[in-house]
Amino acid sequence: MSKASFVVRRLLQLGVTFWAVGTVLFFLFRLMPGDPTAFVVSAQMTPEARQQVIESYGLNEPLYIQYVRFLENALTLNFGQSFHTNQPVREVIWTYLPNTLVLMLSAFVVAYILGIVLGVLTGWYRGSRFEKTTVVTALTARSLPTFYVGLIVLWLFGAGLGVIPMSGMGTAGQSYDSFWARIFTLDFLHHLVAPAAVLAFYYMGYPLLIMRSSMMEVLSQDFIDVCRAKGLSERAIMFKHAARNALLPIITAAAIALGYAVGGSVLIETVFGWPGLGREMVNAVLRRDFPVAQGTFMVLAATIIILNFIADLLYGYLDPRVTYD
Amino acid sequence: MSVLDISDLEVYYETESAPAQAVDGVSFTIEEGENLGIVGESGCGKTTLAKAIIGILPDEGYVNRGSIEFDGKDLTELPDVERRRYKWEEISMIAQSAMNALDPVYTIREQIVEAIETHRPGTGRTESNEIVAEMFDLVGLDPERADDYPHQFSGGMRQRAMIAMALALEPSLVLADEPTTALDVIMQDQILKRIGEIQADINSSMMVITHDVSVVAETCDRVIVMYGGKIAEEGPVEEIFGEPYHPYTIGLKRAFPNIRESDQDLLSISGYPPELTDPPSGCRFAERCPMATNECRTVEPKAHHQDGLRTYCHYADEIDDGFRSRADDPKTWKDTEAARSAQTVAEVND
Repeated sequence: MSKASFVVRRLLQLGVTFWAVGTVLFFLFRLMPGDPTAFVVSAQMTPEARQQVIESYGLNEPLYIQYVRFLENALTLNFGQSFHTNQPVREVIWTYLPNTLVLMLSAFVVAYILGIVLGVLTGWYRGSRFEKTTVVTALTARSLPTFYVGLIVLWLFGAGLGVIPMSGMGTAGQSYDSFWARIFTLDFLHHLVAPAAVLAFYYMGYPLLIMRSSMMEVLSQDFIDVCRAKGLSERAIMFKHAARNALLPIITAAAIALGYAVGGSVLIETVFGWPGLGREMVNAVLRRDFPVAQGTFMVLAATIIILNFIADLLYGYLDPRVTYD
Repeated sequence: MSVLDISDLEVYYETESAPAQAVDGVSFTIEEGENLGIVGESGCGKTTLAKAIIGILPDEGYVNRGSIEFDGKDLTELPDVERRRYKWEEISMIAQSAMNALDPVYTIREQIVEAIETHRPGTGRTESNEIVAEMFDLVGLDPERADDYPHQFSGGMRQRAMIAMALALEPSLVLADEPTTALDVIMQDQILKRIGEIQADINSSMMVITHDVSVVAETCDRVIVMYGGKIAEEGPVEEIFGEPYHPYTIGLKRAFPNIRESDQDLLSISGYPPELTDPPSGCRFAERCPMATNECRTVEPKAHHQDGLRTYCHYADEIDDGFRSRADDPKTWKDTEAARSAQTVAEVND
């Protein structure tokens, strides 16, 4: 099969996956106990007024009509309006998603660069004291809950030394023309550094440990002996041959981990008062705000699905043995 | 003139307990243009020997004593950077398994060119490509396919590509570790012939490591039989497979089917090779040898030279037809095995 038809087929699969995720989300939220209108209608309302509100959200319609309408709207990326604030869901996502992405991506890039390099070195210098210390540190980092580390960092550097801000994404009272204008300010970086570092410290262990065991597996293969016999320099063997081969399992792992990271940002966003999508999603679920919850969940699912797709393509590019059938 | 002169070489591996004496006091030479075979069962130290010569021992392996002289220079004394210059340019290898000896993520061309550019930095792309095409031609591969990845080649093609890479810099010595074990018999024959032709062409020497006696018989001038990290016997191919003196060689010879006497019983040497972390003080083979005496178990045998053979056996100089025919009889080995297991049972019952 050619690469083009592989891509087309994967894209079709992608569409089916989105539909399945959307359907599950839609029915799960309707199965959830609790009345979605409880937050918008008050006890003092007359039954007529209450009915009117319910009708205005389309909640009086039979479930299958609601479902068809949900699918139609989803096709145009319209997830409706928040039950709570009447704000269009698209706008809610547009406000909070970039904040989450900036935090996650900066933590992720740092974590994966560090993790991969340290993984290569620990795999290469197996049995050394450097390896043992690094692995123990990585395991510790991986086992500590991020919110706990986050609180300690806040207590130590925020409350204690006063070198980092206690909360939020910027100093109050500042305003910026655009999102981009904002994230390239020193003030923003000052707020970003603590939560990003805590996250990076936590994420780092995963690529490090995968890369290390992958390196050890590659290093035991015959072609490494041949490389050494060829008289290549240690650096060429370590990076050009061993690390290059060992990198393959990281691709898939990174794609899945990044997807989860975007969804799993709730705790760190709460601790550091970071106005991200994770926090918004939890609030939406608690308020039975179906449209916002559905929309945010769809975004997370989309992140994971699309990243996996990219990982597949990247894998085919990095490993010549991959065939498209 | 000898290309390689190894004297009293000891290669050890660090282990949790005592070091494993994988190669223990081995001396031999390889002459220019000569093919030397090394045979022995798994774990006898033949691969370790090759790794020590080319300089790719794993971290836990080290040369404890002795020298590896190449062109009059002791390689064991050279610092890594200088040693690297000898690799591939002077001593190259054909790795054990063709399947995994090439890096899967680079094309064959990239891997051969890498070797050329590492050792001859001034070489241009055109010139490197010419060498690749020439080598592909020599080993019987289509030069058009140099840009394929290893997985696109069959086992036999990969082995040919490996040989093309090993000979690309026209080294003086090629170490072939089980060069054909992964191939079927017909392919094996073709490859061996091809190696022989190219080798004669560039006048390089070769050390063939194998447990397959027929490969040695076909390609080598001289053979070393190794057992438990030591040389058991060494000599010209015709002598070793004709009338050897060492009971191990005699047994080994009878362990392979003979085409002229196809109905003769095959011999099996019972027992296991010695523990290399705690080798026996006498002859390494004494434990499994049907002819062994008390002297064999306590005193290490010295070399006996006769008929062009070098034999490490106490009885090499007094061997007669009776001794040889008994050592050549599968029944002798079977009886010894039976006697030993009876003894073991008796010891356990005590």
